[in-house]
Amino acid sequence: MGKFGKEFAKGLIISNPVFVLALGLCPVLAISTSIDNALGMTLAVFIVLLGANVIISLIRRFVPSITRIPIFIVIIATLVTVVNLIFHARFPDLYESLGIFLPLVVVNCIILGRAEAFASKNPILDSIADALGITVGFMLALLIISFLRQILGTGNLAVFGIHFFDLPVLKEHPIVIFILPPGAFLLIGLLMALFRRTGVMKE
Amino acid sequence: MSAKDFLKKAFPVIILTAVVAISVTVLTYTDRMTRPEIEAQKETRTEIMLSEMFPEMSQYEFREEIYTVYSDGDEIGYAFIAVGNGYGGDIEILVGLEDETTLKGITIISQQETPGLGTRIAEPSFTDLFIGLDIADVALRRDGGQIDAITSSTISCAAVVDAVMATAMEKVKLIKASEEGG
Repeated sequence: MGKFGKEFAKGLIISNPVFVLALGLCPVLAISTSIDNALGMTLAVFIVLLGANVIISLIRRFVPSITRIPIFIVIIATLVTVVNLIFHARFPDLYESLGIFLPLVVVNCIILGRAEAFASKNPILDSIADALGITVGFMLALLIISFLRQILGTGNLAVFGIHFFDLPVLKEHPIVIFILPPGAFLLIGLLMALFRRTGVMKE
Repeated sequence: MSAKDFLKKAFPVIILTAVVAISVTVLTYTDRMTRPEIEAQKETRTEIMLSEMFPEMSQYEFREEIYTVYSDGDEIGYAFIAVGNGYGGDIEILVGLEDETTLKGITIISQQETPGLGTRIAEPSFTDLFIGLDIADVALRRDGGQIDAITSSTISCAAVVDAVMATAMEKVKLIKASEEGG
């Protein structure tokens, strides 16, 4: 496996942003209520993470270490705002369904975390691989969590308006706590424990 | 301190300032490029929502926060925006009136309620309850009205109902006053 492949694959499991790095948990708790939301958030994170990693990797030699954090934050916030405005103007339907997720990406510490830990120290190609891998890892984690929350908390599964199935008892008596943030916290904890126990993901 | 030392100390600040300056330029430029399109989007969105509520609509007029809807020159209704205080923030609702006492319907423009629970206020199973209702009957059933709240979303439902009721009362007064006046 080449270096590109290695940097990509590491984001999926060994440094999975949610289950192993435990980064960006706040937006994860907030939006993993349905698969639609999970995919919307993944798209927003992908665009911003890729842009931020590329720019920061390009300018990494000029960034003085003492002011690096404010510089990264300004770059990330600018990217998010530009993407937000362009989506609002050009893709109103997508903008509508992404709603608060786009602006929320600013406070997603996955982006700043990767800028600081990876893009500021590595060449551009590796930084692109890192962004792709972390995004896919983020998506996998979000899909698992939101799938469980959606079926436990609402008793049915529908993606982008396409209805897949209803669960017999849960449909009438959904376990509402799984839709609410505490339920997400519980679920993430249980999943992390499960992955550690079975050795799928290690620190 | 020599000039060289000074430059060394100032370097991080200069870089940060440069990054901020670039950022401001990029943002100003993007804002200027996208603003007209965003304004146009909003306009079309309101128009689409109004024509869904009043299928016979041929044109509308927006004055003093009230949309007056016409069909071939005849006044067929009014619409306005009500803002409710929901569980997760403001709920914006487009309220349509058939005449001064009857609701034409409501459309949820924006909301940030709990996904899967409160968000159901935007679904037709809830918003259809308002169609053709007398303004006086816009209240939850537990408060003696005609609207059934959605199970486990009572706060969101009450927010919509209260906002529709209060704003409708207020706007009807304005509509009546302007008709008497002119």
